[in-house]
Amino acid sequence: MLAIKNLVKVYPGPVAALQGVSLEVPQGMFGLLGPNGAGKTTLMRIVAGLLEPTSGTVHFNGEDIVADPRRIRRQLGYLPQDFGFYPHLTGESMLRFLLVLKGVEAPDGVKHLASELLDRVNLSYAAKRKVKGYSGGMRQRLGIAQALAGDPKLLVVDEPTAGLDPEERLRFYRLLAELAEDRTVLLSTHIVDDISVLCPRMAIMYDGRFVADTTPAEARGRLAGTIYQGVVEKDDLERIDRDYRVTQAILFEGRNEVRIHLEEGPPPDGFEATEPTLEDAYLLLAQANGSGNASAVGEEAGS
Amino acid sequence: MNPFTRWWEVTRREFLAGLRRPANWVLLAIVGFMAWGLSEGSVTIGTGGSGVDAEQPHITSVFNQSMIQCVIIMVIAAWFLAISCGMVVIRDLELRVVEVFHSTRLTPREYVWGKFWGPVGVFAVIWMFFLAFSMFMAHVVRGAGASDVVGDFALGNYLVPTLLFGLPQILLFAGVPFFLGTWTRRPILVFAFPLASILVTMTFLSTWSPSWLSPDVNRLLMLFDPSGFRWLNETFLTVDRGVEFYNTASLQPDVGFVLSRVAFALVGLAAVVAAARSYARRMLAGGMELRFLRWLRRLRWLRWLWRRRTPVSAPATTSKATVADLGMTTRPIGFWKAARVIARSEIRDLVVRPGMYLFVPLILFQVLSTTVLAIGPFNSRILLTSGALAVNQLNTLNLLICFLLLFYTVESLHKERSRRLHEIFSSTSVGTGAVLLGKTLGNSVVAGFILLAALIGDAVMIVWQQLFGGSPVGFDAFPFLATWGLVLIPTFIFWTALVTALFALFRNRYAVYGLGVGLIIYTVFDLQTGGSLTWVTNWLGWGVINWSDMGPFTLHGTPLLLNRLLYLSLVPLLVALSVKWFGRQDFDAMGIIHRIRPKPLLLGTLRLLPFAAPAIILASFLAMKGESGYEGDAADEWGEDYWRKNTATWTDFRMPSVSHVDIDLDFEPAERSVAVEGEYTFYNHRDYPYEKLPITAGPWDPIEWTMDGESYVPDDRANLFVFTPDEPLEPGDTLTIGFSYDFVFMEGMSKYPSGAGEFILESGIVLTAFNPSFAPVPGYLPGIGVDGDNSSEPRDYEDDFFEGETEPLFGWGGAPFTVRTRITTPEEYMANGVGQKVSDEVVDGRRTVEWETDHPVSFFNVIAGKYAVSEGEGTAIYYHPEHDYNIEEMTAALDAARKYYSEWFYPFPWELLKISEFPAYAGYAQGFPTNISFSESIGFLAKSDPLSHVAFMVVAHEAAHQWWGNLLTPGEGPGGNILSEGMSHYATTLLHEQVYGDRYRMEFSKRLEESYGDGRFVDSERAMVKTDGTRSGDGTVTYDKGGWVMWMLQQEMGRDNILAGLRAFIAKYNPDPDFPVIQDMLAVLRDFAPDTTAFDDFAAQWFHAVVVPEYELSDVTKVQEGEGWVVRGTVVNAGTGRMRVEVGAVVGGRWSDEGDDRGRTVVAEGYRDARAVVEVGAGEAAEFVIRAGFEPERVVIDPDVLVLQLNREAAVFEW
Repeated sequence: MLAIKNLVKVYPGPVAALQGVSLEVPQGMFGLLGPNGAGKTTLMRIVAGLLEPTSGTVHFNGEDIVADPRRIRRQLGYLPQDFGFYPHLTGESMLRFLLVLKGVEAPDGVKHLASELLDRVNLSYAAKRKVKGYSGGMRQRLGIAQALAGDPKLLVVDEPTAGLDPEERLRFYRLLAELAEDRTVLLSTHIVDDISVLCPRMAIMYDGRFVADTTPAEARGRLAGTIYQGVVEKDDLERIDRDYRVTQAILFEGRNEVRIHLEEGPPPDGFEATEPTLEDAYLLLAQANGSGNASAVGEEAGS
Repeated sequence: MNPFTRWWEVTRREFLAGLRRPANWVLLAIVGFMAWGLSEGSVTIGTGGSGVDAEQPHITSVFNQSMIQCVIIMVIAAWFLAISCGMVVIRDLELRVVEVFHSTRLTPREYVWGKFWGPVGVFAVIWMFFLAFSMFMAHVVRGAGASDVVGDFALGNYLVPTLLFGLPQILLFAGVPFFLGTWTRRPILVFAFPLASILVTMTFLSTWSPSWLSPDVNRLLMLFDPSGFRWLNETFLTVDRGVEFYNTASLQPDVGFVLSRVAFALVGLAAVVAAARSYARRMLAGGMELRFLRWLRRLRWLRWLWRRRTPVSAPATTSKATVADLGMTTRPIGFWKAARVIARSEIRDLVVRPGMYLFVPLILFQVLSTTVLAIGPFNSRILLTSGALAVNQLNTLNLLICFLLLFYTVESLHKERSRRLHEIFSSTSVGTGAVLLGKTLGNSVVAGFILLAALIGDAVMIVWQQLFGGSPVGFDAFPFLATWGLVLIPTFIFWTALVTALFALFRNRYAVYGLGVGLIIYTVFDLQTGGSLTWVTNWLGWGVINWSDMGPFTLHGTPLLLNRLLYLSLVPLLVALSVKWFGRQDFDAMGIIHRIRPKPLLLGTLRLLPFAAPAIILASFLAMKGESGYEGDAADEWGEDYWRKNTATWTDFRMPSVSHVDIDLDFEPAERSVAVEGEYTFYNHRDYPYEKLPITAGPWDPIEWTMDGESYVPDDRANLFVFTPDEPLEPGDTLTIGFSYDFVFMEGMSKYPSGAGEFILESGIVLTAFNPSFAPVPGYLPGIGVDGDNSSEPRDYEDDFFEGETEPLFGWGGAPFTVRTRITTPEEYMANGVGQKVSDEVVDGRRTVEWETDHPVSFFNVIAGKYAVSEGEGTAIYYHPEHDYNIEEMTAALDAARKYYSEWFYPFPWELLKISEFPAYAGYAQGFPTNISFSESIGFLAKSDPLSHVAFMVVAHEAAHQWWGNLLTPGEGPGGNILSEGMSHYATTLLHEQVYGDRYRMEFSKRLEESYGDGRFVDSERAMVKTDGTRSGDGTVTYDKGGWVMWMLQQEMGRDNILAGLRAFIAKYNPDPDFPVIQDMLAVLRDFAPDTTAFDDFAAQWFHAVVVPEYELSDVTKVQEGEGWVVRGTVVNAGTGRMRVEVGAVVGGRWSDEGDDRGRTVVAEGYRDARAVVEVGAGEAAEFVIRAGFEPERVVIDPDVLVLQLNREAAVFEW
């Protein structure tokens, strides 16, 4: 169990990146969704023991991470948002180096383990190539491999699927899902699909606060019967936007596919009720955060 | 937006960013501090008079500013400029902003030039600040108080040096590192350029100028010296042109020099052009390595290489296994294992990076070449022994490796961050301590590799010297291991820990570079300028080893060990701070404010106290022992007290003679102690009685005194003991004063790592009776206790001061006396005193040697060591058994000196003349009667090649003091010392001619001449009869000019006449209560001069006035007439004085090495010359015509080196 309590982080400026957030993350996959600048990475770095908070506590399985960040490192798998490697090392050497530093052991030895991990992230073919020759996706996969290593009790992954092609993304989903069976996985992303596919629970951050702590199904369920979809001409879009709560408007082949949230009353002409998506919920929350009305989507999280 | 606007925007942004960088503020502080310090006038051109009213060189003159600016830019600014320019593109690449930049309309060229001018602009601002602050400090703040060194304000005096010396260097040190950084994208190469430039420039291009260097090479080096200092120095400063010239003349560069400056500036700008091209190409076509690979792939015969490569694209997914199948477990990694793994990674990183392959050869070249090119006394080469090499290289290795460790440590600590691996790296469970240790161990490989390579290089050099140079010296690893291990290893450990702690604290590599470079520069500057760094503060271990093959570490062993332990003991503290501060976790700014509140700060400090305690204890102990030791304040106080209590009363007191000295000395060298018992018999040789007799004693307590055999308690006036006999000591009466005491010499611990002039050490003993170092000295000694507060004006001598009786310049005064010395030491020592050995007994492991003078002496000494002996004809050399390299030459020199000086000057009256070697804790030699003391660094360890004969030369000079100094003790007063030192140089000149012939006499004469040209101060120089040693440049007048003028006087009088005159001179004054000076010598010699008018003219010019010719040739032509050739030309004397001088038309090289047996002169076949004589006065020109029976190749003024002159190398014309 990861317990975050009254966590505040103020950067010089001052910029309040976290405004006293509290959260309990149970075993399993937990998604952290939020727009850019919401404070997700700050929270992840604090949880990973890489950033000292201004105040508040973070406990993992009862151990105080803030007081002694070394405690979490033994149980942590961490994939940062932005990272690199020693360019002159091969992928395999780099991974082996990190495995040794993490104290990872395996029945067939670290060398074999490195090969296996590279195989899991489909990087075996490039194991002997220097990292400086890797593409962005290959580097991301090498990052994933090191994060998975060592049977971590807490896996913190920040924007893990950025740069992955669809096939690799699915592979990663499978890996994460497998790992989340018996450990805590904290997944930060602004890609809603990642959350909806992987996370039984999620929280949405906005401006350094949790604005929702819910499940994707719950978030979608609360919107059941309130989402309508229709196609409007360009000239009508302004009127629809003015009169209804538009969750999405996509311009496709010169026409606007529009989804609206409507709790009561008849929908506009040409609009039909449709299944709500997690994206609808997330975007409505984002809009609601400005008006202070987030209860339509999920339980307001403690802040 | 036009290209200019885009360029300007990049420049402006970079400029503003530069203004915020800590390193630039550090530089600003350094140059501000320097402007303030330099305004004190401590760094000026070596010129000007020494009198109170004499004109001084201005700190504001264009020459002084040139000297200051070219050195400051090279030594200090080059670092900062090179790093800020070289790193500017690398930084953007690390921040990954360049691709965004170039998605705009910003072109690579606009970007590169903008990035270049930004930091250059910041540096320009800092430099303008330096100039403005220098002007302000000199002309406004110091103007009134320091008017003697501040001239009228002239803006050009500041700007001309900046344009001539500064601008080319600025562009060079900005452009080339900028190119290196942009092209290679490797910081280490950026650091390499200024390091290499400074090393090569400051140790070679700017300063290396042995007397035998050809003028063409010298000129070439001037053009290649980026600082311009060599040109300035060799053109204007080496030969003093007088203070008026430096204060008023304008700096006029020659065309060649200006072109070389323009070339340096163009190289800098061309480097930026190249950087722009490289950058643009790289943006389009990938990196240098990629292009190289593409090029390789085009080579058909390498195709097999590419076929074996692994596929580059991803295969279809195959694995169905889960992560759980891997069976991974995690265990905390052990400290040592982690450190080992990280160290291995660091080493792998070092191996694949180019820095190591660049730095290591560079440093090796620097270290080895400076050692090989090292110049010893009289421009001689130094014999490469293991001890000399190890210690000579110590400071260079120390400095260079510290710089390297600074770069490598900082880059290593910053590596994860610059490669964006730090978050993954920091989230691993490996301990911070292991990370830091691993990185340190990895980087220490660089230091270890350099030391190993230097050691191998040294071994190769020594073996090479042995195999091909005929050197008897073999390789010995012990001095290297002992000195490098003791000094370098602790310094490197401490320095790495300090740099790591600074990086952990600031987390900014530029701040650490600024602080690190600043600390090294400050330390070395302070140490090199005789600063205040003691055993407590000398962290670098700079100059801490005074090596002697006769017994290393015997002088400063304990403080050296404690100093090293002190800095090693700081390492745990620095490690603790590093581990605490190292950036695994980013601090919270609010948390920092919380932490620096008094209570947490105090608690934090208390927690660190156990780490700091050993260092505090060691530092306190060293400081306390240094203060209470022989260099501490307490030791200074007795001397000051002595001066204050006695100077007014006793300065002009003249002592009666001592007629006999009887002294017993019982040494324990290992304990630095001696028990002394002896007595002096005073004889009143004057015509008045003495009521009181003062005797100066050292800080020995207690001293048992006797007078005429009875116990006596004299009046103790701060160690001047005044004896009052019951009856005054009447003329012709004698009085015996006895003394006994024992003491430890140099008691306690030293405060500074300096050498020692006299000592009792396990490695050897050197003591003289000039000072109360082991025996009381009759009378008051005005030199004791003199410092800034205690000083007297130099005595002003009347022109006829030498009339009547003149007191001796040195020694105890009065008539010479006899000495009996009984010296007891451990059996293995041989102790030498003055006179003849009368007994040598060993009882119970103690050797007692008794020496008695067989002819009176004027002073005495004691010297002891564990010696081997080489005996000659009435001579002996006592030397360290391993120092037999030059013994044959030295013995031959001593034999020749004894034989020929006896013939030329006066029969040697003692039975034995001996030289004894002492450890190189001091570097002098002293010609005590019969018992010459020689430092091992002189003669014994000189590389005595046929051209220099340096061992011969030094022995000849010191042996000459038996006549010029002992048998003829000069009088006190102006010109007196020339009868000792100048005459010894003259005797050496004669002995060169006698033993080795003209060629080597001329070589020696040229060396003296060059030494005089380089060392003289035009405005300070007085006539030889007025030279009293108190002014700048008096040394070279006393030694070099003194010897030369006597050589010229010999040409004037004829060899036989002058030698006869000198024999008569010594005979007249040995012994005599009147001690002679130059005027007395001239009076005697005049009687032997064949032409007294010419003699008087010569004496008037060279002894009573200051002249020195400077000959130049002009309008030289050669025409064939019949079978012969006629050479015409003009000799101009641009100097002073009127001399007859020969002009030679010459063909062929004059000397041959063929058949040159043991360095004796052989004239080459094919050499011919024809000569004419001209007489040219100051500013005059004289035409000459030479008829030669051959076609001459060149015209040489004074081909036989008979007339002292300046710039002899310019007095040659070659077709």
